[in-house]
Amino acid sequence: MPESRQNPNATINRRSLLLGAVFMLGGAAALTRFVRKPAADGVVETVFSPEQFALLEQVVDVIIPRTDTPGALDAGVPAFMHQMLAEWASPQTRADVINVLESIERRAWNKYGAAFRELPGERRFEVMRALDDEGLAREDLAYRKFKSLVLVGYYHSELGATQELRYELVPGAWRSCLPLTEVGRASAV
Amino acid sequence: MDFDAIVVGSGISGGWVAKELCERGLKTLVLERGRDVQHRVDYLDFSPPWELPHRGMVPEEEKAQHYAIQSTSYAFNSASSQWFVRDSEHPYSTPMDRPFKWIRGYQLGGRSITWGRQTYRMSDFDFNANRLDGHGVDWPIRYADISPWYDRVERFAGISGSNEGLEQLPDGQFLAPMALNCVERAFKQKVEADHPTRRVTVARCAHLTEPTPEHIALGRGPCQLRNVCERGCGYGGYFSSLSATLPAARKTGNLTVITDAIVERLDYDHAKQRVSGVRVIDAKTRQGRSYQARVVFVCASTLGTAQILLASRSEHFPNGLANRSDTVGRYLMDHVMGLGATGTHPGFLDRYYYGRRPAGFYLPRYVNLTERGATDFVRGFGFQGYSYRSSWDRGVNEPGVGAELKQRLRYPGRWEMTLIGFGEMLPRPDNRVTLSERTDRWGIPLLHIDCTHGENERRIAERASRDAAAMLAASGYENIRSNGPIRAPGDAVHEMGTARMGRDPATSVLNRYNQAHDVTNLFVTDGSCMTSTGTVNPSLTYMALSARAANHAADLMGSGEI
Repeated sequence: MPESRQNPNATINRRSLLLGAVFMLGGAAALTRFVRKPAADGVVETVFSPEQFALLEQVVDVIIPRTDTPGALDAGVPAFMHQMLAEWASPQTRADVINVLESIERRAWNKYGAAFRELPGERRFEVMRALDDEGLAREDLAYRKFKSLVLVGYYHSELGATQELRYELVPGAWRSCLPLTEVGRASAV
Repeated sequence: MDFDAIVVGSGISGGWVAKELCERGLKTLVLERGRDVQHRVDYLDFSPPWELPHRGMVPEEEKAQHYAIQSTSYAFNSASSQWFVRDSEHPYSTPMDRPFKWIRGYQLGGRSITWGRQTYRMSDFDFNANRLDGHGVDWPIRYADISPWYDRVERFAGISGSNEGLEQLPDGQFLAPMALNCVERAFKQKVEADHPTRRVTVARCAHLTEPTPEHIALGRGPCQLRNVCERGCGYGGYFSSLSATLPAARKTGNLTVITDAIVERLDYDHAKQRVSGVRVIDAKTRQGRSYQARVVFVCASTLGTAQILLASRSEHFPNGLANRSDTVGRYLMDHVMGLGATGTHPGFLDRYYYGRRPAGFYLPRYVNLTERGATDFVRGFGFQGYSYRSSWDRGVNEPGVGAELKQRLRYPGRWEMTLIGFGEMLPRPDNRVTLSERTDRWGIPLLHIDCTHGENERRIAERASRDAAAMLAASGYENIRSNGPIRAPGDAVHEMGTARMGRDPATSVLNRYNQAHDVTNLFVTDGSCMTSTGTVNPSLTYMALSARAANHAADLMGSGEI
């Protein structure tokens, strides 16, 4: 199957263009209507419901907000995660990620009696911080997969790698021992 | 005769043989079982992370179904998976309780595209080891035999490194060394102060730090410190068959390359004691055909070469070609790899580096050699090491979300250092490959690999882990994690020994020039020729033995002896 055999870059670029076009037309809801995963038996399966995708956008915005540099939403992390779940993830991983999203919504209701989207920013943060503490303490694999996709989606995006961190396609030199202040930020790879 | 010479395989060994034979004026055919690859054109080395297929990650189900073994390689990702076979399409068998990891790439250039590029000379400690402790047979050569050929292949391949004056790690013809980073310099000082005969040196590796006119004439340029080598390097910054030996062979006008040509067997003419033909199956059409030449070099990799020789049965060689000694397929070895330790340093937080150095450092063998303390094993190990400051990926396992997390991950984390032991594996006859009754889709018998580590390997591994942890602790590293337990053989991707060199035709396959004792025009120069493993990465030795054997064959052809 892998398109990577021929020319993966061409495929990715086409797909990025498609995603971009969809976003301009109608945002997240349009995306989940149009970008689907064709299953092996020909059944078309939607990765996220429109509500789940909207929740994902709110959640990644809490995990990596826009500060003096772009955040996860600026870097297109929700669309990246959609693409990864549609093309890269196993059914198990797909279910794990969606379960994490659902558990976030449950926490919001249990703790504050409202949907995550209804909560003010500091309560969204509290929900996510509690989930993160517990998820890592429990060594919850599903949560780690989720957080890992968010972080890869951000730090290996062009904005994350080049504006938040530093990345050179062709460093061209090895300078073996420098003051950190001379280099500035962490290398993205 | 179709050709003067046929070379089976286009990896590191086959590429070298082809170059040398072509430069000696011999019309040479290279048969490669995999597909054709265009240097530069077919590489994905100019994609930043956000343009890689799935950010470099191979889809989970594809990985599980098709790359269960190959994906365990550190070099496997979505930009390099094209250089690894699909396990689902190239099966082999092992006993249930004795797994063996066979990492392979079937394409022009073979594993020279994805190799680790670490290049060290073996020493007379290695060439004398079998004779002194009685494991295996004596090597038919010594360092003096191979030394000028190390010189020759180092100059052409371009090896960066530092001369250290160590008897167990002979110096060579090196390009400028890459530098140790801040914490490695401190580690070197401490280790060498605590242990007078241990040495920490920057890795010797097949990277062009200062290309010579000979390198530039082949279209190669300096290493750009990108560290995406496993994808292939469009700059030709590291040595591969595609960047170096095959272009040099092509320049002579004497080279013919045929890809998708799977060698099924070699035909044998008993009256002349020669290989009379090389039978090939076209990988795409499954059509059979045959090629003839005056001399045949089999460089199909340690396991691939054993497979071809074992399948080449005839009336006079009922157990496989050149196998009168029943040693073809036996004495399979790999390095005992991965046993070492990792630690975190609390200091040097104001120091960093620029660029992505594609190799780390090396700490050559000392145990049972320069340090005379008692051990409960024979032979020894060396360490490869590396250190770096962790980056954003630590955020997955460190608690935190929001602006605080983002601010923290903006700067590098602590320094990590890892030492990986590479230990000797003793040659044992029961570690062997045989032909299965099952066949692949071309009708060729599958390999059955039965190979396991013994007590000596386990003891080497334990000692390597212990020493690694102790050196890290002495240098102030914390949170030291020993790696282990010992992993299945094959893990180091240093398979060796299935058609070993030796002095006696009754106990070995090849003579001191990698020529089959019993078949005058048959040479084998890949890892299968190795009589013992030594402790250093073996590819440089394959290069030197290949160049030496090719020139010897050319001499014999010139004098009419073969």
